Amino acid sequence: MNKIILGRYIPGGASFVHRLDPRSKLILSFFFIVVIFFANNVQSYLLLGVFTLFCVYLSKISLAFFIKGVRPLIWLILFTVVLQIFFTRGGQVYWQFGPFSVTHFGLVNGGFVFCRFVLIIFMSTLLTLTTAPLEIASALEALMLPLKKFKVPVYEISLMISIALRFVPTLMDETEKIMNAQRSRGVNFGEGSLIKQLKAVVPLLIPLFVGAFNRAEDLATAMEARGYRGGEGRTKYRVHFWKRRDTLSCVLFGLLTLLLLFLRNW
Amino acid sequence: MSIHFKNVNYIYQQATPFEQQALFDISLTIPSGSYTAIIGHTGSGKSTLLQHLNGLLKPTSGQITIEKQIITPTTKNKALSSLRKQVGIVFQFPEAQLFEETVLKDIAFGPKNFGSSEQEATQLARQMAHLVNLPEELLEKSPFELSGGQMRRVAIAGILAMEPQVLVLDEPTAGLDPRGRTEIMEIFQALRIKQHLTIILVTHQMDDVARYANHVIVLEKGRLLASGTPTEIFSDPEWLRTHHLALPQAARFASALQKKSGFEFSKMPLTEEELANQLVEQLGKRG
Repeated sequence: MNKIILGRYIPGGASFVHRLDPRSKLILSFFFIVVIFFANNVQSYLLLGVFTLFCVYLSKISLAFFIKGVRPLIWLILFTVVLQIFFTRGGQVYWQFGPFSVTHFGLVNGGFVFCRFVLIIFMSTLLTLTTAPLEIASALEALMLPLKKFKVPVYEISLMISIALRFVPTLMDETEKIMNAQRSRGVNFGEGSLIKQLKAVVPLLIPLFVGAFNRAEDLATAMEARGYRGGEGRTKYRVHFWKRRDTLSCVLFGLLTLLLLFLRNW
Repeated sequence: MSIHFKNVNYIYQQATPFEQQALFDISLTIPSGSYTAIIGHTGSGKSTLLQHLNGLLKPTSGQITIEKQIITPTTKNKALSSLRKQVGIVFQFPEAQLFEETVLKDIAFGPKNFGSSEQEATQLARQMAHLVNLPEELLEKSPFELSGGQMRRVAIAGILAMEPQVLVLDEPTAGLDPRGRTEIMEIFQALRIKQHLTIILVTHQMDDVARYANHVIVLEKGRLLASGTPTEIFSDPEWLRTHHLALPQAARFASALQKKSGFEFSKMPLTEEELANQLVEQLGKRG
């Protein structure tokens, strides 16, 4: 349970990336993911790679950590890469067997898909490692504000997101606790046949759900007791300030995009 | 079943930036048949220590011997499942572990996992429900319909039904009313006398320590600070204060009385009975 790096926050950073406005971080990482799909040759991927490493360097978090973030997804990545390699046609054929063939295009495409995955994971890990979950939630709310005109319940959505994010670690702890308690009563998680394993999950899931229901009820009562009446007419404690470093990073990303468009073959 | 820890270290999330050492070079012995209390501040490593007792956690280095079973960092999980039957752990707020449709089934869950037949397990469950004073009419109800105190009893009965030889209790009375508290503590005491269980109690209630325990282990910041009988541990109020530990109420009263009126106690009284006895004795002498 503790091995999952994605979605974790490392506090205590006074780094450039840590101090960015969460809104700009959110926009820029989305933007970066879109930009990745424009890259289509070795030079452009190299550029994006160097840029990503530069961002990682700015965050002052060790690179090993990001590599760990890739690890849980490595099988998915390899699966996709292998499919690409075997089923892409064109260019020089190196090896062929029935519908499978390894071609020059296939290898190149496989390499690109691999790079794409790794870059996306690095960037999104960078976002979650340097931004506290509540900051992400309030940034999301700020960014969704224009949708209010289209009757999207922006406030409710962001409230749910922030509560959900707040309770992820709590629920993880609770899961761990219940697992330990049931293990002590002789349940073996993740052992035996598939049906046995599925059955072992019941003593974990039911208490977890019951606990979540109870917690929701308590939380709702506590919120009402403290005068919560809904989104209308509330003031904000967490206020974002757009600073010079945010503009700077936007400009940097703009330059990157221009350079990328230049490097890419039309 | 006696338990020995030898130079046990435990590190959470080793080799990540979240790495944190919870136990430092712990060596201790819990004698067979003892009532051992583990005390210490929040975050002193008590809960980490007790998860080592049935192999939920394995030491990062060092070794633990429980009767004949030896647990080292490389011990396989398969080898530990028989240990789980012998060492029953009642976790903090154990009512969170209930899940079956009826109380009876939930109590019978543990024994069934360890190979008892349906019939044996149900019979054991009835017996244990009686032992923890659960009324007969509750047995066929859903555990989620019960009050908090009753749920706690069901959970405890579920552990007792595994018939462990070592019973580990992590604050078993937290959040209960005073009456439920004494009742549950008395049940454990009776069990120990009747079935010669080894009991390990983690608690902040010094009165419980003074009343029931015959062996005390003090932890501070993951290190073993002291171990001995309650009389030894509570003999030095000054030392306790520097380590932010409280005295039992009777002892607090006695030391205040000693200071105020020069009353001399031959031995620091730890429970109300001891206090009363000594007072009677001394007052008798004065005539």
